[in-house]
Amino acid sequence: MKVLLIEDEQQLADSIIRYLSGEHYLCEHAKSYQQAYEKIHLYEYECILLDLMLPGGNGIKLLEQIKEENKDTGVIIISARDAIDDKIKGLQTGADDYLAKPFHLSELSARIYSVIRRRKFQNSNIIEQNELKLDLLAKKVQVHQQEVFLTRKEFDLLMYFLGNQNRVLSKNALAEHLSGDIADMLDDHNFVYAHIKNLKRKLSEAGCDNYLKTIYGTGYKWEI
Amino acid sequence: MNKLLNKSMKAFVLYAGIVLACSIPAYYAIIDFIWEHELKEHNRIESETTRQNLQALSLTNEELTESVTLWNKLRPETQLQPAAAVRPDSTYNIYRKNKYIPAKGWDRFQGLVTYFTINGKVFRLTQEANMEESHETIIAIAGVTFLFFLILLGGLIFISRKISEKLWRPFYNSLQKIQSFDLHKQYAIQFEKTGIEEFETLNHHLEKLIAGNIAVYKQQKEFTQNASHELQTPLSIVKFKLDLLYQSKPITDEQSELINEAHQSLSKVTRINKNLLLLAKIENSQFSGKEAINLSALLENHISLLEDFLEDKQLQVIRHITPGVVLSGNKVLVEIMLTNLIMNAVRHSNLGDTVMMTLTERQLEFSNMGAAPLEEKILFRRFGTSSPNSTGTGLGLAIVRQVCRLHGWQESYRFENGFHIFTVAWA
Repeated sequence: MKVLLIEDEQQLADSIIRYLSGEHYLCEHAKSYQQAYEKIHLYEYECILLDLMLPGGNGIKLLEQIKEENKDTGVIIISARDAIDDKIKGLQTGADDYLAKPFHLSELSARIYSVIRRRKFQNSNIIEQNELKLDLLAKKVQVHQQEVFLTRKEFDLLMYFLGNQNRVLSKNALAEHLSGDIADMLDDHNFVYAHIKNLKRKLSEAGCDNYLKTIYGTGYKWEI
Repeated sequence: MNKLLNKSMKAFVLYAGIVLACSIPAYYAIIDFIWEHELKEHNRIESETTRQNLQALSLTNEELTESVTLWNKLRPETQLQPAAAVRPDSTYNIYRKNKYIPAKGWDRFQGLVTYFTINGKVFRLTQEANMEESHETIIAIAGVTFLFFLILLGGLIFISRKISEKLWRPFYNSLQKIQSFDLHKQYAIQFEKTGIEEFETLNHHLEKLIAGNIAVYKQQKEFTQNASHELQTPLSIVKFKLDLLYQSKPITDEQSELINEAHQSLSKVTRINKNLLLLAKIENSQFSGKEAINLSALLENHISLLEDFLEDKQLQVIRHITPGVVLSGNKVLVEIMLTNLIMNAVRHSNLGDTVMMTLTERQLEFSNMGAAPLEEKILFRRFGTSSPNSTGTGLGLAIVRQVCRLHGWQESYRFENGFHIFTVAWA
């Protein structure tokens, strides 16, 4: 799947590309407004990661351009400006998601995963993995055609793991995913452990294989 | 506090009072002196006339004795008595009871005693004239002086009011403008032209001072905002690199732990940075929108959002939330304020503590258990309570204060019955 990263900061771009490449995304990089503009014209992407502050032009303008050219492309804004106005404006202009820097790469990966699923399957969105079946719209999970009742947070966690398969996810990143900014206001994130324990128990009770592994004592991994 | 005008007025009045008061004895002395002088002259003239007339009469001794007796009977106040020898003239000044009109009480007399000879006999003539009594003179002078003092006082007040008002009007105008000046609002003051050199200088320097202040303040705020922005990219880079490092294989449990710890500190820096940016934005009035907020619903919603954290610490939450409390404010900021207050209570609670959240029509209160009261002064200050060992940024309560200030609410802290109580009141 092709992803276009529009980001002027080389170091950031390198890291993102490196992480996403491991997720079987084909990642292209545009450093400026002009470069991005050309690439959008020439190629098609499943997902575009857009930094709003670009040399040579405004990211919002580029977003308008993208929406005009190809309506099926998912757009995630990654911005250093954590401004509510930007967020609202971006989402109103047609962005699918908004991430304020700095974020965890696993968070970005999970968002891309969701956006592409939503776009690609025209909102009738089912993810299937062996005995596991997720209905993204209804937020329902089935194991061996048997519905498993998950809380909203457990479902969120499951989606997060599916978006970062075979990756080690730190408790820190999971906590931030579940509660956003508030997570780093506290030292211990025991609630993450509690949610994961419940998720694991519910899945295994329904007869699902144990894909969710504990790594290094504090990390987790969805192994397939 | 004294007003400027009153101060100069007081000095004037005091001065006038002293001068007029001093004038009373002065007037008295002069008038008394003139009186006395005139009466002495009068007595001398009378005595001289009497002497010359008597001498000119060329009376015989018998006639003279008769005349003197008659004289003394007719005018007892002017005594013509035979004397042993001619002595130098003398004057006196006495108070005596009025013999003829007792109701008049004491009278004052200026007298002259002269000696002369008629027909070889020495006579002593006592010539007296009634003089105004001292106390009557003083009362009259004091009365007149006091009257003039009142007239002077009235005039002074009236004139100085009129003049001062005109004279000091530019000053009071400037004063009013400075009073209404608010550094946070960022608009410079324009002083009116006065045409008076001193005021022009004053206004000019005030303008310069204010412009300087605004510039420095702006710069400082811009600096915070810019610095926060600039920090975001390197912070992102570090975070990404740590994420990548976490994925590299193989890493040991120890390395994983190190990465986690680095992440935690990084999160703290990120949060401080975000909060500084938020503070700068609030101060730059970048949150202007206001709407009606159902605080009751918002608070309930927030508590449920933060449930994980409440459960993590096994906190007993006692809620008294009055339903349907609606408040006008900026929703984003109010949400941040609620989060900060709740998390503040959670962070400083121990396992199994009690946390109370109370919302009434007039105020919002969060309480958490504590051993000793905290210092309110530094509590709401930036980094007032930060410590290197806590995850707190030391900015949460400063943000609460800024949000309150922006909305005109009142934040406060008190310690009661082993509880730290943070209150936001709007009514």
